[in-house]
Amino acid sequence: MIKPLRKRHLQAWALLAMLLPLGIISAWLAIPKPVHNNLLQPPVGKALPVVVKTFKKTNYIVNLRSNADSSALQLEWINNTALTISSALIYQKFDADSSNDMHEADLIGRLDARGIFYFPLKNTHVYKKVHFIIYDIIHHQVIEQIDF
Amino acid sequence: MGASYQAVGWNRQKKLYDWLIFGFCSLYLATFIVLTAVFNPDYTFETVLIRSTSTLALLLLHIILSIGPLARINKKFLPLLYNRRHLGVTMFTIAAIHGGFSIFQFHALGNVGPLVSLFTSNTAYGSLADFPFQSLGFFALIIFFLMAATSHDFWLHNLSPKVWKALHMMVYFAYFLIIMHVMLGVIQYETNPVFVLILAVGSLTLIFLHLIAGTREVKKDNMKYDLKQDGFVMVCSVNEIEENRAKMFCIDKERIAVFKVEGKLFAINNVCKHQNGPLGEGKVVDGCITCPWHGYQYLPKNGQSPPPFKEKVSTYDVKVLKNNVWLNPIPYPEGTEREGANF
Repeated sequence: MIKPLRKRHLQAWALLAMLLPLGIISAWLAIPKPVHNNLLQPPVGKALPVVVKTFKKTNYIVNLRSNADSSALQLEWINNTALTISSALIYQKFDADSSNDMHEADLIGRLDARGIFYFPLKNTHVYKKVHFIIYDIIHHQVIEQIDF
Repeated sequence: MGASYQAVGWNRQKKLYDWLIFGFCSLYLATFIVLTAVFNPDYTFETVLIRSTSTLALLLLHIILSIGPLARINKKFLPLLYNRRHLGVTMFTIAAIHGGFSIFQFHALGNVGPLVSLFTSNTAYGSLADFPFQSLGFFALIIFFLMAATSHDFWLHNLSPKVWKALHMMVYFAYFLIIMHVMLGVIQYETNPVFVLILAVGSLTLIFLHLIAGTREVKKDNMKYDLKQDGFVMVCSVNEIEENRAKMFCIDKERIAVFKVEGKLFAINNVCKHQNGPLGEGKVVDGCITCPWHGYQYLPKNGQSPPPFKEKVSTYDVKVLKNNVWLNPIPYPEGTEREGANF
């Protein structure tokens, strides 16, 4: 190596000694904080014993379940095949209003394309007509409506 | 250096070096794939290939960039320097596999061409968290490609050493691009802080090595020699130079190597004509000064390569007074015969 090149190498690394830590720290600080979704109730892991009502379709089965004394109510969603949408929300509306206005609906939970999901419901709704709306949050459209 | 041209002068050391590289890369990729299959069986093979080649290329890049300063700091690392270009070409090949599969996985089979998609699918250059990190990797890959394509001595001669070296020093810029490609890419999604830590340790190690080695070398270059007489400068004692070895001194523009050979001292320019290797770090083999990098040889008395080779370096006057070595820093034309200094 010749003398000017030695100097240039040292200059290059003196510059990197400043830029690299700056770049690494800046990028590390820019890592987005994980969003804690407080809106959605965590899915309950186990199915309640009594199937109150069932709604079947080719791709999925939806069961309303309760415990023996009907003190707790649960929505069970079973994907038979992968949903064609990657993610969807489930809303619940009371029997008086079967429209698809999301602002007046209660958000129950979120579905993924595959799996079995359990969502606890408020049991005061069990004897009323229950209307569920499945909503695609990416394309902003109603995919399915389920009436029990 | 052969009389007839050979594209690659294969020797035992080159073959061993290449087999070691091949073995290491194969072992790394196999281990990565097996561990991923065990701990993340949901990953597709394309994802595993993209991740395994990216981490291997990054690891190789750190090794490559550490060889230079390590060889400066400790001569035991010199064998790694001899065929470093083989490591570089391997690293580029693996990085190209990573880049190719990534472009296909994320940008192919769409409405626009993959390269158009690469630069137009994300234009959030104003955001750090959403920065189009893939373009950083793309430009780094271009630099690595140019370096790999010109790694042969043919390009060193035809581009001229100045242009060739300027091109190959772009590896430092490419390194910065790659670090940012990783930090603004996968690190934004992987929550485990271990990855940032590993990357930071790798970068800091390289910074530390290069600054240490560079500072030492520049310090040697800036050493002052105060005793002067009739154009000669006193540089050291005769006893400081080992038999068949040299000591280097930077008095004027470039280092001069003073060799002790068979009871005489000879001084030649320290810079090898092949790839500017440090002749003063070599030794005398069969009466010839031998460059430690690639074995180019020069006769001590005139700085010429033994026939049929034609390389020449400058020679200098050297004398011994009261066991001290005095050196005249004004060079003679390359290949000029000079009497050595008896001691």
